[in-house]
Amino acid sequence: MINHMGRFLFILLGLWVTGALAAPPQKVLHLELSAAETGFDPVMTSDLNTASIEQQLFESLLTYDYLARPVKLIPRLAAAMPTVTDQGRTWLFTLKRGVYFSPDPVFKGQKREVTAQDVVYTLMRFMDPKNRSPYKFLVEGKIIGLDELGEAARKTGHFDYDARIPGLEVLDRYTLKIRLKTTDYNFAHAMAQPMYGIVAREVIEGYAGDTASHPVGTGPYYLARWIRSSLMVLERNPNFRHEVWRFDPGNDPDSQRIAAQMQGKTIPQIDRVEIQVIEEAQSAWLSFGKGELDMIGLAGQFAPIALRGAHLKPSLAQRGIRLDRISDPSIAYYFINQQDPVLGGMSKEKIALRRAIFMAQNDEEMIRVIHKGQAVRNAYPIPEGVAGADPGYRSLLDYNPGEANRLLDRMGYAKGPDGYRRQPDGQPLAVRYTSSLSSQDRELDEMMKKALDRLAIRFESEKLKFPEILKAERQCRVQIRLSAWIADYPDGDNFMQLWYGPHTHENNGSCYQDPVWDRLYEKTLTLPDSPQRDALYHQLARLLELNGVTKVSTTHIRNVLSQPWVIGFKAHPILPSVWSLMDLDASRAPHP
Amino acid sequence: MAVERASPGLWMLAWRRLRRDRVGMTALVVVMCYLFVVFLALMGWVAQDWTREVGVNYAPPVFWAEDQDETAQRPAVDHAALTDPVPLYGLQDPLARELAAIRAEHPAADLAEAPRRLSLPLGGDKWGHDVWTKVIKGSETSILVGLVAALLATLLGTVMGAVAGYFGRWVDDGFNWLYGVFTAIPYLLLVFAIAAVLQQKGVVTLVLILGLTGWTGVFRLVRAEYLKHKTREYVLAAGAMGASHARRMFIHILPNTSHVILVQLSQNVVGFIKSEVILSFLGFGVPVDVVSWGSMLNEAQNELILGKWWQLAAAGLAMAILVTAFSMLTDALRDALDPKLKY
Repeated sequence: MINHMGRFLFILLGLWVTGALAAPPQKVLHLELSAAETGFDPVMTSDLNTASIEQQLFESLLTYDYLARPVKLIPRLAAAMPTVTDQGRTWLFTLKRGVYFSPDPVFKGQKREVTAQDVVYTLMRFMDPKNRSPYKFLVEGKIIGLDELGEAARKTGHFDYDARIPGLEVLDRYTLKIRLKTTDYNFAHAMAQPMYGIVAREVIEGYAGDTASHPVGTGPYYLARWIRSSLMVLERNPNFRHEVWRFDPGNDPDSQRIAAQMQGKTIPQIDRVEIQVIEEAQSAWLSFGKGELDMIGLAGQFAPIALRGAHLKPSLAQRGIRLDRISDPSIAYYFINQQDPVLGGMSKEKIALRRAIFMAQNDEEMIRVIHKGQAVRNAYPIPEGVAGADPGYRSLLDYNPGEANRLLDRMGYAKGPDGYRRQPDGQPLAVRYTSSLSSQDRELDEMMKKALDRLAIRFESEKLKFPEILKAERQCRVQIRLSAWIADYPDGDNFMQLWYGPHTHENNGSCYQDPVWDRLYEKTLTLPDSPQRDALYHQLARLLELNGVTKVSTTHIRNVLSQPWVIGFKAHPILPSVWSLMDLDASRAPHP
Repeated sequence: MAVERASPGLWMLAWRRLRRDRVGMTALVVVMCYLFVVFLALMGWVAQDWTREVGVNYAPPVFWAEDQDETAQRPAVDHAALTDPVPLYGLQDPLARELAAIRAEHPAADLAEAPRRLSLPLGGDKWGHDVWTKVIKGSETSILVGLVAALLATLLGTVMGAVAGYFGRWVDDGFNWLYGVFTAIPYLLLVFAIAAVLQQKGVVTLVLILGLTGWTGVFRLVRAEYLKHKTREYVLAAGAMGASHARRMFIHILPNTSHVILVQLSQNVVGFIKSEVILSFLGFGVPVDVVSWGSMLNEAQNELILGKWWQLAAAGLAMAILVTAFSMLTDALRDALDPKLKY
């Protein structure tokens, strides 16, 4: 009897021990990307989807406070905010100690600490002509001696990373002094970009030629698995330092609720992030409905079934689904390649043709039919919520197909026997519109086709995958496209730089090179956010319209839906991703 | 004087048999109706204005009473605001003179739109296009693609099958190797691969894709027929009389395999209409300025989730009726043309 009892107690004890020692369930966040990533070397990144992942893999010197609105800069790799002296020309950064890169074979089993020299190396990479960085503009022409290094590399074909330049002075292992040529009001924002995440030189050199496949940073996660254009799995970085969630919620009730859930927790709480590329919005929507995705950026076409006005429909709210809705600091804008042999050029005929094409675009119809009301008309290159915005700005290029047609008639674009217009010299005229393969882009193709039909201009479609579109844009091969830009930092300069001549082959997809415009833009760089700068911005915006370079169309409204088990999410206007600052209630999640 | 009645030929016998098949005749009438509609659309006599926006967005079918949702409402356009001068911030407009002249002639912006109907016979799509007109215009694309691609595939399959079966030996081995390669690759993968290589959307591309991938079935059957027929007495006799290989293949043997080819052709038409729909649904099909049943189904995938089912129903039903009728016709043709079923 005692024997039986003993055996029974022993089994009970065993069960208790295994239960107690069993690891808690892994917290896995399931997400989607609406367009394929482009590779994970931050210096080469320019798209939001890739940046959202790099935000978790790499760390920049500064970042943005999660809850503060309007947004506020805070230290990330830096131990404190930099000391700025010499009228904003000298920046002293001190790094946190004990920050390590995620493990990688390159480090031969050793833990590798981040030093000030890594920051210097990271900044230098942006000026290395081999990298052709789209975000070079944030340091170009700013740091003393750095442009000269880039220039020398262009001549010799070799960038001297060992060179010492006065603009980048390492004072000790953790302290770096950056000297700028002139005052730069946005330099701190530049140092908060995920593209400026710190990398280790031995990693970049060790994986030379394939750095995009080997992201090694100091962020809370590392890339554990990558199937190109399909799946990315991030796992908790074992070398990530002890960091605690501590943000001031202020008076905002939503922030206070989040702070009550998250305050004092270590970062990150989520063990694994699985990100699938789902280009079709319907597939993503259905996956979210089945609980296979934890969060989803609601595509416009599904707004009527998810939203009633600005609120979640009761059927979804009853399921505990949450809606985070903000007006994105973004613009959607048409641009025309100014170097294109058919549409480019500054002759009156070409300007008239471009302006007519822009005037045939019915933005209100696009908002109503394609975005289902989840966008607002915005004609100014700087959206609301960003320094320099002007919501009252009136465009020269508002929808007016009658005047557009009369303009084309007057400038000699006569209709041929087939009913389509020809160029003034009698050559055939066709406009090639570039877009991706998604069904939403097919709708945008239809919009453009309708617009060109209004003008009796022949429509041609070029379908490319998103990364290929970006590549074609940089090579000035796109003829016309509807592009979008979201603020990297909340200053108008981040938008106006999109048309700066020297940024051709980087972010200037319209390949617009106009000395008058460039001079005005350069003047804005010397000014803080002020009425003088705003006046210059208005001139710049109007010049873009007068010359038929671009038409700003809409600003997007971001609706993020999250499942009831997602904790601590608040949409941030600038940070591309906040996964490390969130949590999951694993007991409620339907999947491990 | 007694007159010897001429015995009916193969085709007359087949026609008589087909006429007695009521299902077959019904299917034939349905197919002929579709072809007639295609002809009318091709000539531009119907559905030429399918791009005209005649209804409000997502106008429901007339028999389907449904309240208009907010997306159907059109905001009022501020016409006056368009003609108000906008500040130029001290800049010169390079087109100032031209625009001044235009505005002097036309002082008011011309944005008047034709009134739109709140409902349409089979409903409207997101732009307010009439779905009925789209179905008709779409039938032109889908059926033409099906027919022309089937003709191409049948031509390729017949010529290759004839050459392989007639000459045999290494020629046959070569064609069999090619056949093996094409059939070893899953059909849809092969189609996508060719679509990716062609890199161009359009009806011609679709026909090429389907024609170049769909010849294998015809090839297999025609080759078998030629292997059988090439040793028959009538072919040997033709050879003895000095007929060339080409003459023996295409003048003597081909008519005796025509029933197989005809049935394969009609089967391919059905298959390719479905393939066009699948390809267009997946985004490899027709470009944005062409409508087909497949492109309509592609558009309908997002509409369905919003409860706008009419485009899907219209295109799906039109295709289902044709495919069913064509399949029945194929069955009836096989029965009518099979010499073993003579009665």
